Amino acid sequence: MLTRCILAERKKLRHSLILPACILIPIIPAIMGTFNYLQNLGILKSEWYSLWTQHTLFYASFFFAPLIGLYCSYLWRLEHRNNNWNSIMTAPVPVCCIYFAKLTVILTITLLTQLWTGILYLVCGKIAGLPGLFPPDIFFWLLRGTVGALPICALQLFLSMKIRSFSIPIAIGLVGSVLGTVLNSEGADLFWPYCLMLLGMNANKSENTMSGEMLPFFISVCLFTVIFSAASVWEMKHRDIHA
Amino acid sequence: MISITARQLRAERQKIRHTKALLVPLGFLGFEILWTMWQLSSMKPSEFSQGYLMLFYNLPVMNTLLMPLMISVIASRVCDMEVKGDTLKILYTMQKQESFFDFKYLNCLRYITVFVIGQGLMILFFGTVNHLGTIRPSIFFIYLITTFAVSTVVLSIQQTLSLMSHSQLLPLGIGIGGSFLGLFSLFFPKPVARLVLWGYYANFSVVGMNWDPDTRIIDYYVLSFPLSRFLLFLAAGVFIYFICRMIVVKKEV
Repeated sequence: MLTRCILAERKKLRHSLILPACILIPIIPAIMGTFNYLQNLGILKSEWYSLWTQHTLFYASFFFAPLIGLYCSYLWRLEHRNNNWNSIMTAPVPVCCIYFAKLTVILTITLLTQLWTGILYLVCGKIAGLPGLFPPDIFFWLLRGTVGALPICALQLFLSMKIRSFSIPIAIGLVGSVLGTVLNSEGADLFWPYCLMLLGMNANKSENTMSGEMLPFFISVCLFTVIFSAASVWEMKHRDIHA
Repeated sequence: MISITARQLRAERQKIRHTKALLVPLGFLGFEILWTMWQLSSMKPSEFSQGYLMLFYNLPVMNTLLMPLMISVIASRVCDMEVKGDTLKILYTMQKQESFFDFKYLNCLRYITVFVIGQGLMILFFGTVNHLGTIRPSIFFIYLITTFAVSTVVLSIQQTLSLMSHSQLLPLGIGIGGSFLGLFSLFFPKPVARLVLWGYYANFSVVGMNWDPDTRIIDYYVLSFPLSRFLLFLAAGVFIYFICRMIVVKKEV
């Protein structure tokens, strides 16, 4: 049933503007991060790692969560319009399947965004004249960032489901990210879902700050994801819908 | 004439009743208040004499990050009801397309005004409570006027996108991209930074900063206000507004 729900969600996204957003928005930090790197070659001497700090500086700190918010809002907007809530809630499908199908689709798009960010990073590095390929750590950080994005996806899905407005969950995503940056500098990053992606991506850091501290990170990711997913499913099961 | 204007304004106000749209600027303002409290709490007592300058240096940067997205959210909230409800056909039989655009714009502008006035009160409040010294009225008013002026131009673009876009994905995407570009433009050489509209929140800032890497002391200083550039910006803003209005008016409904 879940597979069929995922296929249905994927069909809903056909010909949508999600893919252009997923492709175009990461290009901006890539170009600008590279530009910034080239402007500061005197200070940034760790080659691929220095370029990574510039690429992820603003992408992970401020814009990743609103981007996920954009994907989630779009996915729920289809249900908020044209009385579609009535259709999906009366369909012979368990609500948890509907929710997890949406989460899977959002995660797939997030993974694509991360891979695209990696490709852009490689291309920009070559354009900037960096030798060889990027270190394997970076690929691991990208994947770990995707894992860190899981609670953000679950939370943004919950917000977009509850809030009928397309834009407000995105604004909440930005405010959450900025707050996350502050909490990250205060060392409280494991307690705020928007910080986990920053932590996973090793954003704006040229050395792995999480070596040996992976377990608390994964516990935090799992805990937040379970809480937000359970809240969403509970809401769908127990609250009346407003079609 | 006045009654028609008042009626159109009232109609726009009534449309957004119960949408809690005011929560958007208030939410962003609340966040800026928290952020300012955090900034002031990390200052040493010896730095309080430059507290106002610190605020006038940092708040435009914060506005560059937050305001493009906030404006896109407001515009989307106010305009999406027409897109969702497919109301333009009905509205255009009773109301001129141009005035529809104008009054929607005025309606969005109310929220930006609330935000800008709120920011002004916040600065005065924190300045008084923390004894940040004497505020220079010229810097204060330049800050408020430039923030408002840049927001009006950004709003013209966001409102047009929100009225033209069926899914609201594009205007919000542009809002996020605008915040992104604006923030990055602060690191660009000045001639390049001037090409980025969203970066003008910080571009018109009249406070500069010197950071001594050896002593780690930050010193803020006052810059002269680029009046001719600001007037040129306003003229471009009026031009952009009319272009945007023309695009919406010519849209097939």
